[in-house]
Amino acid sequence: MKISKKIIDNLKKGGVDFYLSVPCKLLANMINILENDKNVYYSAVPREEEGMGICAGAYLGNKFPCIMMQNTGIGNSVNAIVSLLQLYQMPVVFLISYRGTPGEPVGAQGGMAKITEDILQTLRIPMLHCSSEKELDKIPTFSKHAKVVESPVAILCDFNLMKDDT
Amino acid sequence: MNRFDLLYKVQNILKDNLVICNIGLPSQELYKISDQPNFFYMLGSMGLSSSIGLGLSLSQNKHVISIDGDGSVLMNMNTLATIGNRAPSNYTLLIIDNGSYGSTGDQRTFTDEKTSLKDVALGAGCKNVVECSGEETVNQLNKAIDDKDNSYVIISKINSGNVKIDPIPLNPITIRDRFRKFIGIVKYL
Repeated sequence: MKISKKIIDNLKKGGVDFYLSVPCKLLANMINILENDKNVYYSAVPREEEGMGICAGAYLGNKFPCIMMQNTGIGNSVNAIVSLLQLYQMPVVFLISYRGTPGEPVGAQGGMAKITEDILQTLRIPMLHCSSEKELDKIPTFSKHAKVVESPVAILCDFNLMKDDT
Repeated sequence: MNRFDLLYKVQNILKDNLVICNIGLPSQELYKISDQPNFFYMLGSMGLSSSIGLGLSLSQNKHVISIDGDGSVLMNMNTLATIGNRAPSNYTLLIIDNGSYGSTGDQRTFTDEKTSLKDVALGAGCKNVVECSGEETVNQLNKAIDDKDNSYVIISKINSGNVKIDPIPLNPITIRDRFRKFIGIVKYL
């Protein structure tokens, strides 16, 4: 719970006030925290691409949105990222549970893990890769950076960072 | 009645609300009929008009109308479940259902065969779902906007067919900034 709480606290320090998620077991604690937080909007959504659309609307309405998802969700969302968020220069934080990184028990997750950073690089999305608790301290500044450069940004949280956060 | 006729007929209602307009011919036709700063024209991301409008309605209090198409809703059908569970009362989804992928050459969609978007929306949890003719759409839209307690999904059944039209000349950042200025967020324009 300590890691999840720190991530949400730091996103809030960065100004994020609108949260969506497509679930992952590594995000379960964060979802639980947000469901009980009356100060920010939170909802689950069925699919990441749809979430990109909702985030775009929230930005138009003056919210600073974050979508939490597995790295697989990036694959589901490429056109929405390029032809909506980047085309109109909309800041959105992607909080990504980085499935398929060392510690991952499910072999099938390895495929998307191998190409996740390549996809983000190709899309020219700034990345903050968190493999230890100390790196989470960079989240507030990194989130604010999304607003400054008017771009989506991605925070990648490694499997081993999240797996024992019960 | 085709899409252009319908947009022409509802233009005065749209003018008083925040509008998210679907990519392609719907946006190009609306731009030609009556360009307004409170119209957000989608230049990409087919399928997401309903979702953009939903996020906008959850984030501020003005009434939002998402103009979508049957082909686009078929592409992002999970949106109806999210709307059924989360849409606030300042949200109206107007699906212009002409049974056709109009912007790509009028290929038939599944709503021209067996699929009923009304049944899908009801099954997805949307409560106020209206299927009506193009002529009836003005009344149904007014009713949806006047009801301060409920969101609506209006499926306007019209004929396929397009008018000859040019692409929208506006830059995406211009569309974004004048829209946000209308809401009161952008101060520098």
